[in-house]
Amino acid sequence: MLTATVTHTRGSFVVTVHHPATAGTDGSTAITTEPKPGPSPIVPELKEVVWTSGAFVVFAVLMRYFLYPRLRKGMDRRYTSIREDHDGADATRASAKTEVADYEAELAGVKAQAAAHIDVARRTLEAERTARLATVNAEIATKRGQAATAAESARAAVQGQIEAAVTDVSSRAIELAVGKAPDPGVVQRVVAEVMSVGVSR
Amino acid sequence: MLGLEFPQINEVIRWQNIFGSFNKIALMACAAAVIGIGVFLLAGNKDPLKAPKGIRNLAETIVEFIEDTIMQTIGKDGLVWTPWILSLFVFVYLCNVPGIIPILQMPVTARMALPLFLAVVVWIVYIAVGLRHQKAGYFKHMLWPPGVPVAMKPLVGLIEFASNIILRPFSLAIRLFANMLAGHMLLVTFSLLSAALFQAHTNKFLLVPMGILPLFMLIFLTAFEVLVGFLQAYIFMILTCVYIGQSRHSEHAEAH
Amino acid sequence: MEALSRLISDTKPIQTPDEAKKAAAAIGAGFAYGLAAIGPGIGIGYVVGKAIEAMARQPEAAGMVRTTMFLGIAFTEALALIGFVVFILLGL
Repeated sequence: MLTATVTHTRGSFVVTVHHPATAGTDGSTAITTEPKPGPSPIVPELKEVVWTSGAFVVFAVLMRYFLYPRLRKGMDRRYTSIREDHDGADATRASAKTEVADYEAELAGVKAQAAAHIDVARRTLEAERTARLATVNAEIATKRGQAATAAESARAAVQGQIEAAVTDVSSRAIELAVGKAPDPGVVQRVVAEVMSVGVSR
Repeated sequence: MLGLEFPQINEVIRWQNIFGSFNKIALMACAAAVIGIGVFLLAGNKDPLKAPKGIRNLAETIVEFIEDTIMQTIGKDGLVWTPWILSLFVFVYLCNVPGIIPILQMPVTARMALPLFLAVVVWIVYIAVGLRHQKAGYFKHMLWPPGVPVAMKPLVGLIEFASNIILRPFSLAIRLFANMLAGHMLLVTFSLLSAALFQAHTNKFLLVPMGILPLFMLIFLTAFEVLVGFLQAYIFMILTCVYIGQSRHSEHAEAH
Repeated sequence: MEALSRLISDTKPIQTPDEAKKAAAAIGAGFAYGLAAIGPGIGIGYVVGKAIEAMARQPEAAGMVRTTMFLGIAFTEALALIGFVVFILLGL
């Protein structure tokens, strides 16, 4: 039977193989740990300091002189290209905007012209309309005046006749009643008075 | 009889040499450097004028993230530091990630070596930047912020010196190291618990299926470590930016 | 670590002064980390809570608030991590 003793001292394992022929005859398989705890786990080991710092220094130096500048240059190139694209887009947008503005100005001119034409036409139309209206109104007025005078004269004539008739009838009636012919002037005046009152009422 | 033999902490985080003085930590650090170089090399090989996608998109996203952070903390003048801070962030992240990758399961930053080295580098850098931009006035501004009464100067100077020169690199290194080590120890603890429960030779038969509980916790913690690995790299990077920014400008802010 | 393993494994009675020292160190380590976690726990809660409040009030400033929040968390957390380091130092 083979017996191995593993001893752990100062970070290294020591494996001792006991052969039953050479070692005693205890025959037990013993894996013993050295009770000594070794150096404190907080104390840095020189070999680790050297290896890890070496790795870091290599990494940092490569980063400083090779890796980072290359990446940064690529990023800057992309940023400038994007900015140029942006500027190009801005220029295109500006030119499109001026074109739109030109078109709109033209459109506004044409619209103004059309409006002016319409205005002129409307004005002449209006003038014609008012002139016609004036002549027609004047015609209507003269016709109305003529008709009014005709009516008035007819009325006056009728009134004269009625007056004469009434005077006649009145003087006749008074003559019959009184037996004496009244003064025609007085009767005429009274009839005219009464009739004028009646007409005016 | 159930018994969990928790291994000595040195057995959990110290590694044998593979050859010479090259051990698992060194291997993973070198792999991190190689992967970082490979990613940025492949990204740089892609046509830059097309819309970025895949690996180039990834690299450009990281670069823009770093530039954003620098703009916020240092300002426009700080952009010259981009490659250095970029490599710091990427390297720390790639060294944190092996903590959750099966088989590897060990963050490089859970050993003090790398955080200490990086913290010392950051320390040298921010003091050098301060001396270059403010000459000797840097130490004056640092030790005695404007408006300190004369009687308080020795005390304030002492505190500021301790906080800016001694505690800053110390806390920077300890923060990264202890976070990753704590995460690693948590994963080790729960995987050991789970394994011990599954393999327990016991007459209490309910004990064996109980091993599923630490296993769930292990899965949850692994997901949590994904977040922590990124967050610690980010915090290391942003603190570096803040320290450099404070060294460049004479305004003084209390931070360590 | 020791405390954990002792909790789970069957407890052996302490026999030698060396073992007593080790047990005391383990208990001290447990207390060290537990106590160190209290303050930063409250502190991080405060930082994150206030940051969320600020983000809810001014969502357009969320990026800046988040960055500052992570800085605050980092500074606060450092104390808990120092406690964790002491825990490892004592527990060994």
